[in-house]
Amino acid sequence: MDIFLQQTVNALALGGTYALLALGLAVVFSIMGLINFAHGELMTIAGYVLMYCGIAGVSFVVAVPLALMASVIAAVLMERIAFRPVRNGSGATMLVTSFAVAMILQVLFQNLISTRSQPVLLPAMLSDSVHIAGMVIGVNKLAAIVATIVMLVFLDWFMKHQKTGIAMRAAAEDFAVARLMGIRANTVIAGAFALSGLLAGVAAVLWVSQRASVDPLMGFMPVLKAFIAAILGGLGSLRGAVAGGFLLGFIEIYLSAFLPPEMQEFREPIGLGIVVLVLLFRPNGLIPSATLKAEKV
Amino acid sequence: MTTSPARHLLASLAGIIVLAITATLVASALGPASERILTVFFISLIAVVGMGVYSGNSGILSFGHLSFMGVGAYVSGLLTLPAQMKMATLPKLPDWLAAAETGFFSAILIAVVVTSVLALIVGLALNRLEGSAATIATLGLLIITHGVIIGWRDVTRGSQSFFGVPRETTLWAAAVFCILALIAARLYRDSVSGLRLRAGRENAIAAGAVGVNIRKERLISWVLSAAIMALSGALIAHFLGAFSPKKFYFADTFLLLAMLIVGGMSTVTGAITGAVTITLVTEILRRFEGGFNLAGLEMPAVFGTTQIGIGLIILFAMFRKPDGLAGLKELEERFFPGHRVDPAQTVTAGAVKPVDPTPLQGQNLTMRFGGLVAVRDVSITVNSGEILGLIGPNGSGKTTLLNMLSGVLAPSEGTVRRGDTDLTQAKPYEVANHGIARTFQNIRLFDTLTVYQNVLIAALSTKNGERAVERCETAIQAMGISQFAGSDANTLSYGDQRRVEIARALACEPRRVEIARALACEPSLLFLDEPAAGMNREETDDLMATLQKLTGDLGLGVLIVDHDLKLINQLCDRIMVLNEGAEIAQGAPEDIRKNPAVIEAYLGHS
Repeated sequence: MDIFLQQTVNALALGGTYALLALGLAVVFSIMGLINFAHGELMTIAGYVLMYCGIAGVSFVVAVPLALMASVIAAVLMERIAFRPVRNGSGATMLVTSFAVAMILQVLFQNLISTRSQPVLLPAMLSDSVHIAGMVIGVNKLAAIVATIVMLVFLDWFMKHQKTGIAMRAAAEDFAVARLMGIRANTVIAGAFALSGLLAGVAAVLWVSQRASVDPLMGFMPVLKAFIAAILGGLGSLRGAVAGGFLLGFIEIYLSAFLPPEMQEFREPIGLGIVVLVLLFRPNGLIPSATLKAEKV
Repeated sequence: MTTSPARHLLASLAGIIVLAITATLVASALGPASERILTVFFISLIAVVGMGVYSGNSGILSFGHLSFMGVGAYVSGLLTLPAQMKMATLPKLPDWLAAAETGFFSAILIAVVVTSVLALIVGLALNRLEGSAATIATLGLLIITHGVIIGWRDVTRGSQSFFGVPRETTLWAAAVFCILALIAARLYRDSVSGLRLRAGRENAIAAGAVGVNIRKERLISWVLSAAIMALSGALIAHFLGAFSPKKFYFADTFLLLAMLIVGGMSTVTGAITGAVTITLVTEILRRFEGGFNLAGLEMPAVFGTTQIGIGLIILFAMFRKPDGLAGLKELEERFFPGHRVDPAQTVTAGAVKPVDPTPLQGQNLTMRFGGLVAVRDVSITVNSGEILGLIGPNGSGKTTLLNMLSGVLAPSEGTVRRGDTDLTQAKPYEVANHGIARTFQNIRLFDTLTVYQNVLIAALSTKNGERAVERCETAIQAMGISQFAGSDANTLSYGDQRRVEIARALACEPRRVEIARALACEPSLLFLDEPAAGMNREETDDLMATLQKLTGDLGLGVLIVDHDLKLINQLCDRIMVLNEGAEIAQGAPEDIRKNPAVIEAYLGHS
């Protein structure tokens, strides 16, 4: 039982990170239909900012906002430079563009920074642990869970009560009509990218604080998982992205904890196999996007 | 059977063979280094067309195809690996596999078959997903396969190098297999299945309405493309002699996808163009990667020059040529004209056989979208030999009713029947096969296909495609669009697009066309959703004359929705009026004009 609870905490921490990444992907996808492969590189950028801050002796409390700012700015620039020219293209066109962007950024990181994994200085406090109800919980895990909750609450408030957030929801329902109502396409899309950059930045801080290192491909795997979480939850649905992220986190952590040792090598295929099973029964995801059925005939 | 003119296919087959053989001869003359490059190029090209068979025709990008290449490589490698070698490197192999040692070609064949079976199983699951979700699912497939190959150490040596495979892939073998793969891909593109799949890519809803079961076609192309990938995998395995799971993972996926996308994924021409472009650029950039000396200036070595180069080419292609360098047409389609149809009517008048009068009946139909009730308890009968007009203010539920009758929407309540057949839950392509054809309010043509192909798909996909060419050409003649047969649908004017849509609906209903042609008639129904929208008076009158001829002479039933009351009044035998989702009146045109409820609905209280 103790192990189970312990692993549940781990699953919440990992699932929360996936959820934030998947949310970032979903915010952009729901508005412009772009599956952003370069989302992981936003994470990597935030990770490198943390690393350089550590080297320069900047306090972690200052480094985190700087990292978030960097990934937000990078996201907005990415949209302006790479995605605006293909905004009206097909989903495949945009996806391929984003994967070229990701590839170029990865090579740039490798050349300009290092091909190897670089250590990141973290405050000692993060590697401490606390005792709660008989469990030993790492501060970094606790911080991840708290940060995820804070971000989700913030996002909910933002989408419901902020003008830009409401505009984004309107644009996700029907972009053409939203524009006719006077919503500026550029503002909404830039806002969506800024938001996804912020979410990627938070995810990067959480990710790095568990691992204390950063490498050029850091963002690749977690974002791949976030893609899968996003379809598991229902592509384009924000609540679905959160649900899918957490479910994937739970699947992965429980498998690594409870799968017999001889099966551990197949952990990843089995985990994804479970995702496929869920999708077989719910092809549109756990919480399908509302716009799916709305196509006019 | 193929659906494009024979001259297109002959030109392309000749082109493929001449190109491949010329390239092979040139490379043989240049020496081993060029031979090596060309062999790898051929093998990559096989993989690229393999991906194109699925992604290009279906429009769903796949990241998972290298899984099949990997399976092909490992299966064929396991078969040709000498038995002693297996004992040494893979001691835990099951006995039957340890003893197996086949020749190169049988190994390829077995690898292709095994991979196809695997692809069929995967495809059945994948087929439940649409569009972007399917694309991401293929990413999952790649990760799963990679994980299984690494984990299954007893058979694959895990992440270590799988070595000792006899190097049997010669340049000529690669060339011949490449020719075969290119021909298979080219023929598939213009096969019945390929054409249907492309129609589905262009407009899924319209494809369903003319009888295309897109999922079935997707599965066919998925399995075929996996088989081609397996071939490519088997060849690369026997070219390299040693490989590891990494060979079939993200790096190569991106490289091959880049070839496919830069060239243009919907054509074989595009696959070749892309493979040539990327291979050339890679070969050139690779020379600069280690640093070079430019006019006495020492340039530093830049790691990953080739990736950046490829990345920039992709960006350039996407910004400037989103359909790829080769565009949407095969080279030969640009040079040779498409199908031609003689505009003269070949229909001869004669005795019309009695019509089977089975009407289509919708009973107590209700459609809810969340809280909104779009149609409330409406019953409707569409008879053959009669033109029924459906009118009502905007938002009164006309199109929703039509959608329920044609299977596009499943009603929340009520039933749709034709005779003894219950069509309530039928899919649109099944409804189309019960003799019910329709057009759409917003024109839905298969934009990048020709007018001829637009109509041909309908004829091929209904009634088992019997006498499809005849039915297609008769429908084209009946609608007077013969002169456009070879043009792309999206190049037509609005009014002409409407005519193409109706011609397609006609061809899809073979019985009506049979009446027109062979005068052996059976009942059939045609739904027209605002056919006159956007037409001027002259075009509308012309359309009316055609419709009257179809019902009067040939006895088919028409359900027509339109806002042009003059058209409705003159054309219809009976009119049904909807308001706010409910029926408010039904009867002959003159009665409807006087009906106070109708006047109120249209003009409000006086």
